[in-house]
Amino acid sequence: MEFVNNAVSGLLLGGLYAVAALGLSLVFGTMKLVNLAHGQLLILGAYLTAMLIGLFGGGDPLLVGVAAAVLLAVVVYPLQRYIITPVMAQGEEPPMTVTFGISVVITTLLIIVFTSSPLPTWAVEYATTQWDLFGIRIRLIYLIATVIALVFILALMWLLKRTAFGRQVRAASIDAEAAGLVGIDVKKTYARVMSMSAFVAAIAGVLIALSFSVAPTTGTGWLLRAFTVVVIGGLGSLPGTLFGGFIVGLVEAAGAAWVGPQYRDVIVFGVLVVILLVRPNGLFTKVAKA
Amino acid sequence: MSTRLKSLLSYGIPVVIAVVLYVTAQSVDRAMANDFTGLFLLMTLAMAWNLVGGFGGQFSLGHSIFVGVGSYATAVILTTLGWPLIPTVLAAAVMSALIGLLLAYPLLRLRGPYLAVGSLGMAVASYGWMINWNFTKASQAYAIPVSGQISLQETYQYATILLLIAVVSIVALVRSPLGLRLVALRDNEAGAASIGVKRVRTLLPVWALSGLLTGAMGAVYALQSGSLTVDATFNIQFSLDAAIVCVIGGLGTLSGPVIGSIIIYYLRKYAADFANYALLIEAVVLVIVVRFFPSGLVGLATKGYRSITSRRTDASKK
Repeated sequence: MEFVNNAVSGLLLGGLYAVAALGLSLVFGTMKLVNLAHGQLLILGAYLTAMLIGLFGGGDPLLVGVAAAVLLAVVVYPLQRYIITPVMAQGEEPPMTVTFGISVVITTLLIIVFTSSPLPTWAVEYATTQWDLFGIRIRLIYLIATVIALVFILALMWLLKRTAFGRQVRAASIDAEAAGLVGIDVKKTYARVMSMSAFVAAIAGVLIALSFSVAPTTGTGWLLRAFTVVVIGGLGSLPGTLFGGFIVGLVEAAGAAWVGPQYRDVIVFGVLVVILLVRPNGLFTKVAKA
Repeated sequence: MSTRLKSLLSYGIPVVIAVVLYVTAQSVDRAMANDFTGLFLLMTLAMAWNLVGGFGGQFSLGHSIFVGVGSYATAVILTTLGWPLIPTVLAAAVMSALIGLLLAYPLLRLRGPYLAVGSLGMAVASYGWMINWNFTKASQAYAIPVSGQISLQETYQYATILLLIAVVSIVALVRSPLGLRLVALRDNEAGAASIGVKRVRTLLPVWALSGLLTGAMGAVYALQSGSLTVDATFNIQFSLDAAIVCVIGGLGTLSGPVIGSIIIYYLRKYAADFANYALLIEAVVLVIVVRFFPSGLVGLATKGYRSITSRRTDASKK
């Protein structure tokens, strides 16, 4: 029974990991950019929400989170448009260095404004509710995260496949130059994609803060988790993200049960390193990189 | 200037400076000795990182592992085996070099951002391992037995020797055929491969040297701090520091890490009460440098110098 329990909670935790990784996957899939600031965007989303709740004098974290997500999307747009996109022409390393710099900026800003102690938890009922289903314990917040992951993945896929904006994004990702020639503003498209990524990341950050302790420096761990999910699920594949999330959740639950919960990080990042070494381009990518 | 004179100068000047610093070290007061030790350690770290991250084009975020291995090897050898200091530091450096080979061999399959994230994963995983391992006394402090007997001036002398070794070995490596192959691989991998440059065979010794120097830096760092914690040594901040220093100074240049270290070290020293603001400024400067001056401050200076000299020659033609 304990085994089933661990498996189910691992799977649902995976749903949370999937939302956390979705923005990273989206940005990588469309602009081949590994956003090293993604973990910090997640955390920043949680902090912005906390700030807005303080400002409004209350409110449901998930609802206020939507406002925070919009705010974060607005903030990130010029960053991508005027700082990241211009250096993308210089090759692979400079945009990575810039996003790395941005991640340090976000972390230190959060420490300066909120100190380095963890964010106080929000006293909402659904963060702590646990259902008992025929002896299987289910944490409601994980279930909510999994549902939100599914909704976001479906919405993003619809957006990319069925709308004019999605066609522009796909065109820009296949061949940015050709897309430019037929009148697509690639730079604006990239910035919009980054805004979407930040929006999803902020919501994910609220879900993370509802389930775990969050501090300014926890972003790096979440970046690595999200990256593990994306690598397992296939780089840039949106449905793969959900799958990758489930696998990481299961691995972590299994590792915590067999080796010890304090080794969670070692196990998950160990798996990431091993996968990168065995399949440097991800588990399910068919195209070999030259 | 003839090439021979130039190469004589590039080894001679550091040797002369190091000898002068070494000899005068005992007359320097404790605070200044400690200050210079810190600066030289940062320089060594940045130069060792620059070998891999700048000349090799491999943005490693795993160098904190070398600092950790070097410092803990020193602590463990001194405590359990009781070796004299110099062999201990050498053994710690060699151990770190071996770890460098061990990490690099698999990491070399990765390129660009994947290498960055892969090495970051290794760094965070080893931190998670060490903080739970009794061998390193887990989250407790590990005291360095001899630290009471070594004065700050002596530590400063060790740091000076270490920096000299780092400068000389890095200049030698960069000037060697291996160094040329390294830069060729970074600039055009397919082109380098087509003229017979082997990726792994070129990069492994470079990672080993980088690991060796960073490990030795960790050993001297251990002497300076007196006691170690996993939090202080396996901290990814070391990798971040090295990367920030090199990018701001100039990636893949010999003087970049030196200039970058001086700027960052003194920025931090004078903003010690506002450590987070210093880090914030560093990160903002990092972004600005990459966005507007991709070749760092050294690149900017070279460009400025060239534009002045070329204008002069233009004028003389008229």
